[in-house]
Amino acid sequence: MKYTSQMVAKPYFIAAIALFVGQILFGVIMGMQYVVGDFLFPEIPFNVARMVHTNLLIVWLLFGFMGAAYYMVPDEAETELHSPLLAKVMFWIFLAAGVVTILGYLLVPYATLAEITMNDLLPTMGREFLEQPTIIKIGIVVVALAFLFNIGMTILKGRKTVINLVLMIGLVGLAVFFLFAFYNPDNIVLDKMFWWFVVHLWVEGVWELILGSLLAYVLIKTTGVDREVIEKWLYVIIAMALITGLIGTGHHFFWIGTPGYWQWWGSIFSALEPIPFFMMTIFAFNMVNKRRRQHPNKAAVLWALGCSVMAFLGAGVWGFMHTLSFVNYYTHGSQITAAHGHMAFYGAYVMIVLAIISYAMPMLNGRKAANSMKAQIVEMWSFWLMTISMVFITLFLTAAGILQVYLQRMNGDASLPFMVVQDKIEIFYWMREGAGIIFLIGLIVYIASFFVGRDQPEAEMPK
Amino acid sequence: MPHSDNKSTALAIRFEVLYLLNLLLLPGIAFLILAWFYLKYKNHSSSLVRSHLQQTFFTSLIGGALIVLVIALLFVFGGFSSSYIWMWIILYFTLAHSTLVVFGALGLAKAMSSQSWRYPIIGLPLPKDN
Ligand code: HEM
Ligand code: HEM
Ligand SMILES: [Fe+2]
Repeated sequence: MKYTSQMVAKPYFIAAIALFVGQILFGVIMGMQYVVGDFLFPEIPFNVARMVHTNLLIVWLLFGFMGAAYYMVPDEAETELHSPLLAKVMFWIFLAAGVVTILGYLLVPYATLAEITMNDLLPTMGREFLEQPTIIKIGIVVVALAFLFNIGMTILKGRKTVINLVLMIGLVGLAVFFLFAFYNPDNIVLDKMFWWFVVHLWVEGVWELILGSLLAYVLIKTTGVDREVIEKWLYVIIAMALITGLIGTGHHFFWIGTPGYWQWWGSIFSALEPIPFFMMTIFAFNMVNKRRRQHPNKAAVLWALGCSVMAFLGAGVWGFMHTLSFVNYYTHGSQITAAHGHMAFYGAYVMIVLAIISYAMPMLNGRKAANSMKAQIVEMWSFWLMTISMVFITLFLTAAGILQVYLQRMNGDASLPFMVVQDKIEIFYWMREGAGIIFLIGLIVYIASFFVGRDQPEAEMPK
Repeated sequence: MPHSDNKSTALAIRFEVLYLLNLLLLPGIAFLILAWFYLKYKNHSSSLVRSHLQQTFFTSLIGGALIVLVIALLFVFGGFSSSYIWMWIILYFTLAHSTLVVFGALGLAKAMSSQSWRYPIIGLPLPKDN
């Protein structure tokens, strides 16, 4: 580690992992409630658990992105972070806001939470992923502005690299599109439309820039391939992401009351959205094939390669599966959507954050380049446990989704009611829960990897 | 690593791209072009060219057959009107097809770095001189 201020990344990474554990615990609770309806009722109702699960996911990914930026930006800019103190203060504010929000969800009925946080002054609550009380949303904006200021000043005073600039554009975009969370029109068509400006334009727009930049950084560091080569790939990838992803938003405008031409625009442009993800796969493997040196941190390379493949499968393949309007007509809001949401979020954003943590954490813990071989082996076990169980979660949900669509929506007059179908596909929800528990075990193994082999020497640079 | 020049690398890339096109955009047509290349270049002097040609051609053939045959069998024995058959068919097709596509991406990445590559599981063994 070249700059001491990079150390501020460490608490961000630790918080990210801790909240990740919370997210998965609530996932497993909900998975149980799917098959045993009154499990933990009335203490933890399903709708509350769902909110906690998805909000924790977003918050810990944001912690991960911020930690990644605090680690990478000084290194790329070749200068100390503008203000480590500001980064530390913002860490505690963001963590406190996150914890208070989750406790609010769990301890107070949502309507009461809206009341005591004075939601009616500026109503923004009640929409999926954006359930946070308005005051918390304002807090998020403050933290984001301070963060962008800190990172931006560092980039301004230091070396300007393409990787840093792409990250910066992605992060600014993340903050800008979040502002649509404050716009909550009464017209429900517009409401839904602008909701997607946050959700879709995040994961299929600006977050892809963050993903591309972090992936490029880990690849430069672990392969030693020329910066120019990596930058060229990055340019093309982010151009494709924006060209396809912006208008691709239309794949959410099929059935919400927006004009009919979105059937075409949405279908065509979103059908091209897999391209940047596909290019990331080729990019990552090509760079590793062309590497100039072997890096002792094998686990980080594994996460980076795995991320590129799983993001393509989850976002590219499982996204394409239901993105054409005549398919989406049948699959909209079914378990197919959930299958895709899980694999895409895991493959793209969970795995890139874990890749950068894997790369940076050894140095943050005082190592030169990598953990001991023992720790890496445990970490690679956790990679396979989590990744394979996520593949199975996706497959079980896809199977459930196909049956759901068929029995409930495609059977003409013989179509069955929602709950009757849910009963018929219960077996898949049991299997999803099984895979979820293995995922949780994988996560425990992952955390264990930080504690094993600490007294052993660093892994050697392979010949 | 086999010795290679730019021309061989370009050819190897072309074969991998055709393999991918056959799966993604022009099923059949891209394969016919690949087959034509196979006849033309199968005795090419560069082992890089030969390996990518042989791998893409035969993997397209075997992979395509595996997709078509298994789905045909599922329909023959299950009919068209059972929800479970559709579940198996869609799952099988998605898995088999996307696995072939990911392998193609890895093959293309190998070709771009002038390295030989054997498709996992269904790729034929590489000839000895690689
Ligand atoms: C890193 C891993 C995970 C990620 C990224 C993730 C992500 C998500 C997302 C994005 C949603 C919202 C889906 C939508 O709106 O369609 C969701 C819902 C859900 N997740 Fe997860 N999840 C993960 C792990 C798990 C695990 C291990 C389980 C447990 C078996 C689980 C169970 C659920 C359930 C039951 C829902 C609610 C689905 C519904 O409303 O019908 N998740 N998750
Ligand atoms: C990493 C990138 C991606 C992530 C994290 C992601 C995540 C999600 C999530 C969580 C949902 C459910 C939203 C909700 O209703 O609550 C969703 C919906 C959807 N996604 Fe993605 N997605 C990604 C990329 C893609 C791509 C590339 C495509 C198309 C090729 C796509 C197509 C769709 C479609 C069509 C829906 C709507 C499903 C419905 O009608 O119910 N997604 N996505
Ligand atoms: Fe989308």
